[in-house]
Amino acid sequence: MSDATVSLSIDGMDVTVPKGTMLIEAAKQAGVVVPHYCYHPSLPSPAVCRMCLVEVEKLPKMVPACVTTAGEGQVVHVHSPAAKKAREGVLEFLLINHPLDCPICDQAGECELQDFVFQEGQAGTRYADYPKRFNPVEDFGHDVLYIPNRCILCTRCVRFMDHVAEESVLTVSERGDRATISIDPAHRLDHQWAGNVVDLCPVGSLVSKDFLHKARAWDLDKTASVCPGCTQGCNIMVDTRDEVVVRLRPRPNLEVNRHFICDTGRADYRWMNRGDRLEEAAVRGEQGLEGTAWESTLERVAALVAEGEGAVTVLLGGRVSTESIGWILRLLSGRRVTAAMRVPLGDEVPLAGMANLALRAERAANLHGAQLLGAGADWHAAVASAPDTDLVILVDAPLSDTELAVVARAGAVVQLSTVAEPGLENTAVLAPITSMVEEQGVFINRDGRAQRFLPARTPPGMARPAWWVAANAWALADEARTAPATASEALAALPALDGLTHAQLGFTGRVIAPVAAGGVR
Amino acid sequence: MAIGVKVMERPEQGVSYVRATLKGMALTFKHLLQPRVTMEYPEVRSDDEWRIATRWRGTHRMLTDEQGRSKCVACGLCPQICPANCIKLVPGEDERGNRYPLIYEIDEFRCVFCGYCQEVCPEEAIHVGVHYENAEYSRDRFVYDHERLAAQSHPVSTLWDPTDPRGE
Repeated sequence: MSDATVSLSIDGMDVTVPKGTMLIEAAKQAGVVVPHYCYHPSLPSPAVCRMCLVEVEKLPKMVPACVTTAGEGQVVHVHSPAAKKAREGVLEFLLINHPLDCPICDQAGECELQDFVFQEGQAGTRYADYPKRFNPVEDFGHDVLYIPNRCILCTRCVRFMDHVAEESVLTVSERGDRATISIDPAHRLDHQWAGNVVDLCPVGSLVSKDFLHKARAWDLDKTASVCPGCTQGCNIMVDTRDEVVVRLRPRPNLEVNRHFICDTGRADYRWMNRGDRLEEAAVRGEQGLEGTAWESTLERVAALVAEGEGAVTVLLGGRVSTESIGWILRLLSGRRVTAAMRVPLGDEVPLAGMANLALRAERAANLHGAQLLGAGADWHAAVASAPDTDLVILVDAPLSDTELAVVARAGAVVQLSTVAEPGLENTAVLAPITSMVEEQGVFINRDGRAQRFLPARTPPGMARPAWWVAANAWALADEARTAPATASEALAALPALDGLTHAQLGFTGRVIAPVAAGGVR
Repeated sequence: MAIGVKVMERPEQGVSYVRATLKGMALTFKHLLQPRVTMEYPEVRSDDEWRIATRWRGTHRMLTDEQGRSKCVACGLCPQICPANCIKLVPGEDERGNRYPLIYEIDEFRCVFCGYCQEVCPEEAIHVGVHYENAEYSRDRFVYDHERLAAQSHPVSTLWDPTDPRGE
């Protein structure tokens, strides 16, 4: 035994945990899930739900696992008959007033009440003769709807607003069986991070208006991804139903976003389902842009890069992956390149209770990846340089009308785009690329953490990742060159990333280089 | 070496067809005098003597409540359980905020009539019917939409009850 750790036995499993660990976390390490409602790893524990009661030998009563620290030599029983009976009682109380509306409840399928009742609740009810408590549905504002009948008063939402968002607008009002969550009448739940209460709610009491009745939990395909909204790089889960993204949810990563994402990121999924996507490659021929196959498209790109001597401008959108930026710049090695990423600016909205977590002002996910690879953030200078260059490579960056007029004066434009920019008369090549929800890739966040995102949808038409287009055009120039076959190989081949593969990053990413936060103009 | 063949001695009476014919005719005339067991379908359909089993699983029917609205709340369990993948469901919300199916279609051609949809339905809305006359003039008429399912009036199946396995 060392001073920093304690050893205990949980359901017959011996575990050693750091001193001060709560029993519920120690049990998690032992592979035992203690059923719980009020406990959440990112919130303070009030032990109000009484669901996590466990039996500890030599203690006179059962103790809540979420607030009891693990002690040396403790023998804990989570699934003993007494502990099970206690949980059964708690569940019976919770179900007295809980409506039987699972068929129309949005949470059904991912509801903790459903799970634990199914696991160890009673089959019947002893309260069938009494009417259930009824309270009307309340609109908490912004995206959140409160359905009090389903509430089990775990108070996670109240604690989130009090201790994490630090804007105390929710509280428990009334007492006993009349208790409900209520909102300060002078306020709405319009905090930038308030949408997290929907995810925190273990039952379907707080639901998202945006997602209401859209899909059932079991219909959804879940894909690990990274939020493309800002330089924070929050880990998210992309939920798709029949190839349509229906919602984004936070994915726990204790190093980056813990269990939260902001509402801006949460709502920013509609572009992923755009129907006006570019599906076919085209090169400029005698009759304007003519649809063609990848071979001739790549040949034209390679020819455009090889034939000129002058400067090249690369205009990047904020969601272009590290692989793509790296390979586009490698394709252009030997030319004088001005590369910049378009970084829309917004207000920085920190989440008060969490260190180093905010909706960042720089609303471009891969700004630091671009900077690491040698592209800058000086967008306006890069656009201004376009008329003096032979070639502009436009990588999924939206242009304003004035910028469009400037870029239209460049020698030629290669558009690697998800959505074509029709206004450019000097477009030589129009190549459809995949968006970040259709490809694998890596974003590097503001702390230099490289994080993977995975494909959640099938790419439209003949769209390919931008790095694939760049790498294959690069390989055409010399027979000795071979283009990487996968995104992981593409990443590993970049000198700045030093052989880093996707497998090394795992699902929580890895800090590869602390990047000095570059200035954005 | 020849195979030894034994030629059976058969009495003349035993191999005559006359006797067999008379026997057959006797059976026929006996049935002429007995009560009829066949039903002249389609002039006569099921009656008290001959009734289709209550556990029969035929084309679907959506039950409605007292106001004539469909009982379906679009929970999505029937398309989930359906082994033939024949139910198409798109949920929506009506003007009172109730969940209801915007689109509810059953492709009766794909359906294998297992009755799982009825068994899984928490609202007792979708049922398989005691019904077998499904002929149509075109294939697309076999995709039953929500209105058509709700308009069906045939009795619904009782399915198999494990507590009463023999239907008594």
